[in-house]
Amino acid sequence: MNTNKNEKFNATTESNDGTITVVLSGELDLSVAPEFRLMMKPLVEDSNHNLIINLKNLKYIDSTGIGILLSILKARHGMASQFLVEDVPSQIQKLFDMTGISKFFATKENS
Amino acid sequence: MNGEAVQKVVISLPASADYVDIVRLNLYGIASKMGFSYEDIEDMKVAVSEACNNSVLYAYGQEDGTVEVTFEINGDLLSITVKDEGESFDNLAAHGEGSTLHDKELDDVQIGGLGFYLMQALMDDVRVESQAGCGTKVVLTKRIMRSEETV
Repeated sequence: MNTNKNEKFNATTESNDGTITVVLSGELDLSVAPEFRLMMKPLVEDSNHNLIINLKNLKYIDSTGIGILLSILKARHGMASQFLVEDVPSQIQKLFDMTGISKFFATKENS
Repeated sequence: MNGEAVQKVVISLPASADYVDIVRLNLYGIASKMGFSYEDIEDMKVAVSEACNNSVLYAYGQEDGTVEVTFEINGDLLSITVKDEGESFDNLAAHGEGSTLHDKELDDVQIGGLGFYLMQALMDDVRVESQAGCGTKVVLTKRIMRSEETV
């Protein structure tokens, strides 16, 4: 793994009571997309846990990042497994709303 | 501001995903200096990155290449030109207006196309000139919105 990228983007995983929460920080863009996808793959495929991605420390996302979230949504939907995003910063929420991905995201309040 | 010459900042960088953040940094510096709002700057960062991503992904295939980004400051108007000289016909023109997910079901959704839509939605104007073998030029423009009280 390229250690330079860890300063720009980081994903930490917490496991709690049947739920895995992945906390993102930094910038989720094209340069870290392959690494992020790879990291998420086993978590996405695990139907024994609920999956949450927390975006509170995410400073930037582009269409590549949104595309990965969409792939995760589709995969989890296909598995009839839960997937939530939480603590979405307002600028990122704006991009979610513009692209229409918001309608596919349940929030913790309405899940 | 009338009669002020257009100021240009030009950066040339490898057509590689690792360098697109450099463009965002430059944009931040220039747009802040011009007086754009925080939200406008955040919007433009996404738009210019999407244009750069297209060059990175589609312009040069297996070979190395260069992307040239020109920032033109014309009073309260910022024009950003992202240019590559790739042989590959890029994906931008093929997407037309770009598409969102608003009218789709999750099963029907295909990944891709959001980048071009975001460019158009986040900027005042987007122009794409692309010719197979001659590269692609994307021009993004945005004007500072000023309230009545400020000059």
